Amino acid sequence: MNRVLACLGLVCTILAAPAHASGMADRIQVGDPHVRLAPPGARATAAFMALQNDGEQPAHLVSAASDAARIVELHDHINDGGVMRMRQVKEIAVPAKGETLLKPGSYHIMLIDMKAPLKEGDHVVITLGFSDGSHKAIHATVRKPAGGAPMRHMGH
Amino acid sequence: MRTWLIALNLLLAAAIVGATFFWHPAPPPALVLAPAPTGGDFELDGPQGPVALRDFRGKLVLVQFGYTYCPDICPTALMEIAQAFAELTPDELARVQALFVSVDPERDDVARLREYTAFFHPNILGLTGPLPRIREAAARFGAVFSRQDDASAGGYVIDHSALTYVIDAEGKLVAALPHATPARLLAQEIRNHLPPPRKETP
Repeated sequence: MNRVLACLGLVCTILAAPAHASGMADRIQVGDPHVRLAPPGARATAAFMALQNDGEQPAHLVSAASDAARIVELHDHINDGGVMRMRQVKEIAVPAKGETLLKPGSYHIMLIDMKAPLKEGDHVVITLGFSDGSHKAIHATVRKPAGGAPMRHMGH
Repeated sequence: MRTWLIALNLLLAAAIVGATFFWHPAPPPALVLAPAPTGGDFELDGPQGPVALRDFRGKLVLVQFGYTYCPDICPTALMEIAQAFAELTPDELARVQALFVSVDPERDDVARLREYTAFFHPNILGLTGPLPRIREAAARFGAVFSRQDDASAGGYVIDHSALTYVIDAEGKLVAALPHATPARLLAQEIRNHLPPPRKETP
């Protein structure tokens, strides 16, 4: 119940402050955005990054778009007793003064049906859309991952 | 008569004490787990024709189920396997084989799988076949998969168990490693089960 009220409060806050100059996009720092180099024949690949929220309010990533792919979706993985279930999600929350990682086996941005095969070192522009309507364009580098390495996401 | 009553009382007392000490209510019926998968032989199609697990007797084999449209889980697993292989000596590597079994025969043919697995490591062989045979192979290892048509606008995805199965040189399933087991641990596990090097004949 409290959570519902808190959510309502948040929605009201968002609705009460439309088209604010400093939207969520401005308060989100994006760390190490990269796209996994897709193996030949793969139809889809994933973009990973760290989303850090400097704001006092939670932020919600609700969309991603890119010219590099025909379909771009927000996804999550659920590890259901060893079975990995990948699902599209409506939003990815970034807690106030907190961080959410988009990383292998977890949240990621799916790039489906690439318009041209991506090469190592390419830069992919991805526009992140937030629940308050603000946007942020980021440049993600295509790279061959050094394994799953969820702990090695920052800096290198 | 009195002695008889005392004896009866003593007997009853003993019965009560005995019951308290020795009677335990029956435990609730235990849930019966499905028998642990034991692995076993399977025969599927590789780039050069039929491939059976028994073809690799004498080698340690890693079996990974997945599909090439899988954007994250399968590349992560295969990348870890490739890195583990990179940590092995050439002599150790010669006694190891990985098999990537597609659970998506509708979209993965052997040519596509060959191109896909070569991206990761030459010691990974992609296999496919008719769905019933893939199901049978998966069942031997306790692997499961199920097609999901509504998970993404980009076409169906396949939920699948992402364990890496380790099969020793005699064809016995010796380990099932969790998804994204780091390459270093994977390499350790490989070395633990690696068959001894073949004696050189003079």
